[in-house]
Amino acid sequence: MSALKSTRIAAIEAIDSLMEQDPRIVMVFADSIKVFRATELVKKYPDRCFDVGIAEQNAVTVAAGMASSGIIPFVATYAGFLTMRACEQIRTFVAYPKLPVIFLGANGGIAGGEREGVTHQFIEDLGIARILPNMSVVSPADAYETHQAVLKAVEQRGPVYIRIGSGRDPVFFEQPYPFEWGKAHVILEQTPEDAVIFSTGGFLLHRCKQAVERLNEEGVRISLLNIHTLKPLDTATVTRFLQRAGAAVTVEDHAVIGGLGSAIAEAASEQFPVPLIRLGLQDTFAESGEAEALLDAYGMAVTDIYETVKKVVSLKKKLGR
Amino acid sequence: MRSIRIDQETIISLEEKARQIRKDVVTMIHESGDGHPSPALSIADMIAALYFHVLNIDPQNPEKPDRDRVVLSKGHACTALYAALARKGFFPLSALPTFRSLHSILQGHPYQRKTPGLDATTGSLGHGISIGLGMVLAARVLGLDYFTYVIIGDGEQEEGLIWEAAMAAAKHKAGRLIVLADCNGLQSGGKIQEVGGIEPIQPKWEAFGWHTQSIDGHNLKDILSAIFQAQQVEDKPSIILARTIKGKGVPFMENNNEWHKKVPTKEELELALAALGGNR
Repeated sequence: MSALKSTRIAAIEAIDSLMEQDPRIVMVFADSIKVFRATELVKKYPDRCFDVGIAEQNAVTVAAGMASSGIIPFVATYAGFLTMRACEQIRTFVAYPKLPVIFLGANGGIAGGEREGVTHQFIEDLGIARILPNMSVVSPADAYETHQAVLKAVEQRGPVYIRIGSGRDPVFFEQPYPFEWGKAHVILEQTPEDAVIFSTGGFLLHRCKQAVERLNEEGVRISLLNIHTLKPLDTATVTRFLQRAGAAVTVEDHAVIGGLGSAIAEAASEQFPVPLIRLGLQDTFAESGEAEALLDAYGMAVTDIYETVKKVVSLKKKLGR
Repeated sequence: MRSIRIDQETIISLEEKARQIRKDVVTMIHESGDGHPSPALSIADMIAALYFHVLNIDPQNPEKPDRDRVVLSKGHACTALYAALARKGFFPLSALPTFRSLHSILQGHPYQRKTPGLDATTGSLGHGISIGLGMVLAARVLGLDYFTYVIIGDGEQEEGLIWEAAMAAAKHKAGRLIVLADCNGLQSGGKIQEVGGIEPIQPKWEAFGWHTQSIDGHNLKDILSAIFQAQQVEDKPSIILARTIKGKGVPFMENNNEWHKKVPTKEELELALAALGGNR
């Protein structure tokens, strides 16, 4: 069990440092100040933090108006209320005019929503955000990567969606590393590998590492990549690993339709088709439960990853590669 | 504090501008072969008042930070806005017939990235007040003193987001937000009261904490006086409920909802232009 550090607090701390430097940066909340542990930030910047109440469509559209007038707003609330309830507002009033609005979506994934249940577990956010033209989509691994992603997001001069967790988020990076926007992050490179795993989010990266250790013990060589930026996808690096490994597994706390698995499958089919199996929510909703127990129950246990890698490697062999 | 000159000369000049906008509207829709004539005709007087008398804007410097903002929430009426922007000099009149054509700077509904002088992307109904509130709050953060004017339809007040924005604007004491509601009594599917049922509308806005006025939306003196009154209110947003006639100025289009979206033929265009006081 790794230490926990809140991605919500990490995001707010990064925004605090940005607000100190740039008077154009503001925050818009939809009764989500407490959700984001932002009470102190609001006290520090009462004239630059705006709460519109439980009204996500209004929060997004107000932010669009601000961004049309020289402001860089962060809109922070629950991932699904942003990407689903306010989907049209994000699409038509932010993404279409390419406005610099940065969305922070809390409770990403079943591990993000955990005991709240399906209404507050968002397994569609990355897919919905990814489909929108002009939108960048980032799914940070942990608090450190969230902090880095927030700092980089304001440099994009366009709309950005950043997935945030429950606040009980495992630390993945014990030490800082040079985060690069839009680049795949190679966690483990074992050449020549039998297969490559692409994953995102701290809960699952930890699990992937454990699965890789077990596979290594059996002589199976695996490379592991952390795809924090789903869009723009680092197609060059992804393709390089696909070519060399010849088999791939994707692991994400998201619907396998539309998210990381889809992004990698799209890149693979156009760049270098290989056997590829996607782990994640298999066209199903989950239920209430503790985060780690939910991931085990819905096909993302260490054993699931281990067995899926073995399956994809045997599939590769069957194809004579 | 702003002041607005309201004298006979101004009124006569603005009435002429409104007539010109109406002529441009029917001509554009005829020449481009697509568009919504009657919803544009009902806002022509308010558009003329704003663009040719009220707004602090500069066609030579369309992005100047302290310019007054306009959000046409009922984006399908954009031909009136495009006509005003062209007549004001933001882009050449020759762009008008390209409306809704491939590669035109004049999109089917307003798009801020393509049309000089246009402040907001709109078209999907119910969003303008939220956008306008964002612009007012941006002015506060940046220390600018511009006003933001939002033109909404009466039908779009059926959208829930309008009332989310109404609550938030009152809470944030958005005195620099002035909404002009084009109450022509009709929406795409028929009479407002039969389709959506928004009345009684003025008490609703009052209950939401807004400064409200009810005027004749085709009387330029009323329009200017109401805008001036609204500008004096500092601690709450304002709405001007402008009673209008859909299709105003073209007798065969007035209150005939077939003209919500319809292209006039050559003969119909000639009739319309004649009713509006002669050729363009």
